[in-house]
Amino acid sequence: MSTGDLATPFRQRAGGAMQDAFLQEALTIATTKFIGLRREAFAGFPDGEALRDQARAIKEATLQQLDHHLETLIANVERLGGRVHYAATPAEARAIIVDIARASGARMAVKSKSMATEEIHLNEALEAAGITPVETDLGEYIIQLAHERPSHIIAPAIHKTKGQVAELFTRELKRPAEPDPEALTRIARAELREKFLQADIGITGANFAVADTGTIVLVTNEGNGRMVTSLPRVHVAVMGVEKVVPSMSDLMVFLAILAKSATGQKLSVYTSLVQGPRRGGELEGPEEFHLVLLDGGRIAQIDGPLREALSCLRCGACLNVCPVYRQIGGHAYGYTYPGPIGILLTAMMEGTEAVRDLAHASSLCGACADACPVRIDIPRMLIELRREVDERKIAPWPERVVFALLARLLQRPRLYRLAARAGRLLQRPFVAGGRIGRVPLFFGEWTRTRDLPAVAARTFQERWATDRELRG
Amino acid sequence: MSTKAEFLARIREQVRRAPARFAAETARRPQHPAAEAESIRRELAERWPETLDVFRREFEGVAGVFHRVASIDMVPDAVARIAREREARGLVAWHAAALGADLGPALGARGLDVHQMPATEPTSDVERQRLRSIAARVDLGLTGVDLAVAETGTLVLVSGAGRPRSTSLLPPCHIAVFDRTALLESLRQVGVFLEAWHADPASARGGAINFITGPSRTADIELTLTRGVHGPKEVHAIFVEQPFRG
Repeated sequence: MSTGDLATPFRQRAGGAMQDAFLQEALTIATTKFIGLRREAFAGFPDGEALRDQARAIKEATLQQLDHHLETLIANVERLGGRVHYAATPAEARAIIVDIARASGARMAVKSKSMATEEIHLNEALEAAGITPVETDLGEYIIQLAHERPSHIIAPAIHKTKGQVAELFTRELKRPAEPDPEALTRIARAELREKFLQADIGITGANFAVADTGTIVLVTNEGNGRMVTSLPRVHVAVMGVEKVVPSMSDLMVFLAILAKSATGQKLSVYTSLVQGPRRGGELEGPEEFHLVLLDGGRIAQIDGPLREALSCLRCGACLNVCPVYRQIGGHAYGYTYPGPIGILLTAMMEGTEAVRDLAHASSLCGACADACPVRIDIPRMLIELRREVDERKIAPWPERVVFALLARLLQRPRLYRLAARAGRLLQRPFVAGGRIGRVPLFFGEWTRTRDLPAVAARTFQERWATDRELRG
Repeated sequence: MSTKAEFLARIREQVRRAPARFAAETARRPQHPAAEAESIRRELAERWPETLDVFRREFEGVAGVFHRVASIDMVPDAVARIAREREARGLVAWHAAALGADLGPALGARGLDVHQMPATEPTSDVERQRLRSIAARVDLGLTGVDLAVAETGTLVLVSGAGRPRSTSLLPPCHIAVFDRTALLESLRQVGVFLEAWHADPASARGGAINFITGPSRTADIELTLTRGVHGPKEVHAIFVEQPFRG
């Protein structure tokens, strides 16, 4: 069952995920494991905290001169013989990449895991153009065979059991597969090895791009990033404009914290710095290199309320610690980027209307901000999004009525005291054990998943007025 | 389609309007990267044994297999032993000039089927395909190492003529040979070397610089750690005590 269908409201998607016993267990195991690994990695790394501050400062400093750094990047990519393309929207990005693929006569494209290409829904566009896209990250390959979408930024198939994967391989690849991760990995290796050697075009994202040298940086554990950038004739990298870093010295600061935050590794197995097409004397490397710079809502946030979210490294640490993500998983969010940062990125890319419900899919506990390697204040921006949802009257009307009434009440002490007394009378039929389990009429939404505390027998104000000891 | 001019103009406009959120600086860059890299090398020449100990610990921590031999002449025996244990014969190697030593004859004498990669670019696509298919077929890949980073147990390999990317990628077992001149302590020091390598845009470094930290791995199926997904299942680092690289 896919819970990511946007035709169903968020509440139902989340509810469905919470009924899914396997998903619940998988999420608990995966996120708990990632949290532990991350904690250990930073515990043994005394420079970690200082490097996080420095990484954040580099992102901010880069944004302050983003135009300059992008121009440097473009000049260097072109100097090395690469071509740079500019996509304001996902549709433009798709068209650019399909054109490149067609011009090179490509029939198959191998892809290294990339959230940017998920964001622009590239695979559908390639298929429509008669080009077969093949995801080569094992997790992405599994969900591509299953016609699903990633449920976690760095572990896209955590919602699947080995039994499900074995069934999927047996059915889709027409070869008997045992439910054993080792054996399944071997099958995928053999299948994909052929594709790497045959494919005409390799498509990747970019974890970073170094302006000073025109270098695209890809971080993978499996080695598919290296395959995709070394073997096919053409390499296309798609990156959001915010991924640029000024120099190699800056890059090393990010590399020192990225893998620790994502998987608890000191470094991922492969960090590949690729620069332009194949050089003279080289046996491998693409003949053509293309860099697609993607806006997709990012540019408007340079001076927008979501500016801080432009510092995101896509490590997934905030997903693992989020009590909401841990309950509902990635699909229930409904968009490409799940979790706390995903809500902000969805608002950035799809507009505030898209996060009308999602803006509330957070307990504002702040665990995400603590886990974030670059200390993005996610809760602050979620609160701002909620305010915007309210002010622009995107929120459901009962919610707006209740909050408007509450605002008035809180500003008028006399009325407030009166309301407290009235509430004490009116609540009587609904109170059980000091809590109200259900509110009548359409206000019932509030108590659908939580209790409302009952108005106290004596309110604080009443006690303050009479109780001497309270005042010391 | 967006043009470069309008795309950049929108960014420039936003950057101009946006107030700085706080005073922030990018990372400090070495002013004279080549000189700084040289002075790091000189310092490490004094304390390489400690650096090597850390490298070994970290490299083994990421499931690398560490070997130590006295001189380059002993490398063929070490490689032949690895081959024997895996019942492997086919080996693809970087060109002797890139490796820093011509090990081909000695490896051949030990029963290995050695394919040395050419020092120059193949003249035809047919030849290119042939060389690549060798790398895709054999079990062992023998390379040099440009930097060995102790902090993370990482091997840094720069691609170029005679040093193909595929040698450390396609065969299931990667064997890398290095000496103390490749050792660095930290990622920060790697940054200095990367700056130095790029300081002169005309200097022809290869199109790819790969940081390799252990064998290829995945945990994508039920978080079960599995090695050798796309890249090598095994990575061996042979440390040669007597420096052999020029």
